[in-house]
Amino acid sequence: MSYREYVIAAYAVFVVVLLWDLVAPRLQVRRQLRGAKLRAARTAPAATPTDLPLTRD
Amino acid sequence: MNPVVRWFHQLGSPPYFDRFAARWAPVGYVLGALVMAFGMWAALFQVPADYQQGDSFRILYIHVPSAWMSMAVFALMAIYAAIALIWRIKLCEILAMACAPIGAAFTLITLATGSIWGKPMWGTWWDWDPRLTTELILLFLYLGVIGLYNAIDDRRAAARAAGLLAIVGVALLPVIHYSVTWWNSLHQGQTISLFGKSHMDPSMLPPLFAMIVGTKLWFIGSLLARARADNLRREAGKDWVARAAGLPARAASAGVPR
Repeated sequence: MSYREYVIAAYAVFVVVLLWDLVAPRLQVRRQLRGAKLRAARTAPAATPTDLPLTRD
Repeated sequence: MNPVVRWFHQLGSPPYFDRFAARWAPVGYVLGALVMAFGMWAALFQVPADYQQGDSFRILYIHVPSAWMSMAVFALMAIYAAIALIWRIKLCEILAMACAPIGAAFTLITLATGSIWGKPMWGTWWDWDPRLTTELILLFLYLGVIGLYNAIDDRRAAARAAGLLAIVGVALLPVIHYSVTWWNSLHQGQTISLFGKSHMDPSMLPPLFAMIVGTKLWFIGSLLARARADNLRREAGKDWVARAAGLPARAASAGVPR
């Protein structure tokens, strides 16, 4: 009456689901922060020419 | 102003909440993992086997705390959703919607571990028993809240619609709790009571309390982490998000469409 395999399976489910719960929000945060960096990189070069003085030369 | 009230006001500010969540989410996760690790070690190696169920009763130490969490998280989600609907507090919308995937995860654990426990004890993986069926409906409600929130582009309208579903869904919680009393259920009745007399031997209780506390701490960590992610998503394009991403102030300003 050991039922060891059932106990192992149940604890494995518990650990795997909690690991997903740990990783998923970290990936979401990382994606949002990377998105912010990409947005800044995309718009930064377009902003540079306006810093130059306006001349006809 | 009262410091506590002022702190709550500050917490409503997206950049302040981001810093708060970034700081405290790992603490919740680490404390939760440590307490649960102790609970699981004690449950697997310290507690004696049950005289009737043998070692299979050890599944109780993850099944029961997860089942309690599945209902407690839904109740908390509904409270946040009600506050968000009544007082239009954006942070409460975010917290309510962050509860949904965590609650769904605990409900999934409850159903899966219950099924694994049921096979050796009841001789079947599944039965359309009132407790099992109502818990399955709870999972569908969680999935409904998550689906509704992601189906509408306007985040605030989406949170209001999904929050309403959460508030209506609260009616299911007493049905789940009393299902073993109201109907002739294959599932056993209540054997563990936090405040009353438990029908378990006291030597078997400490790991259970550790798991109950551990899952709560883990939930706090996960709630803050998920709320932080949603907060960043809603505030994408704001100057403070670029600064949080590690960009210097000038570059951050350049990245913001005005």
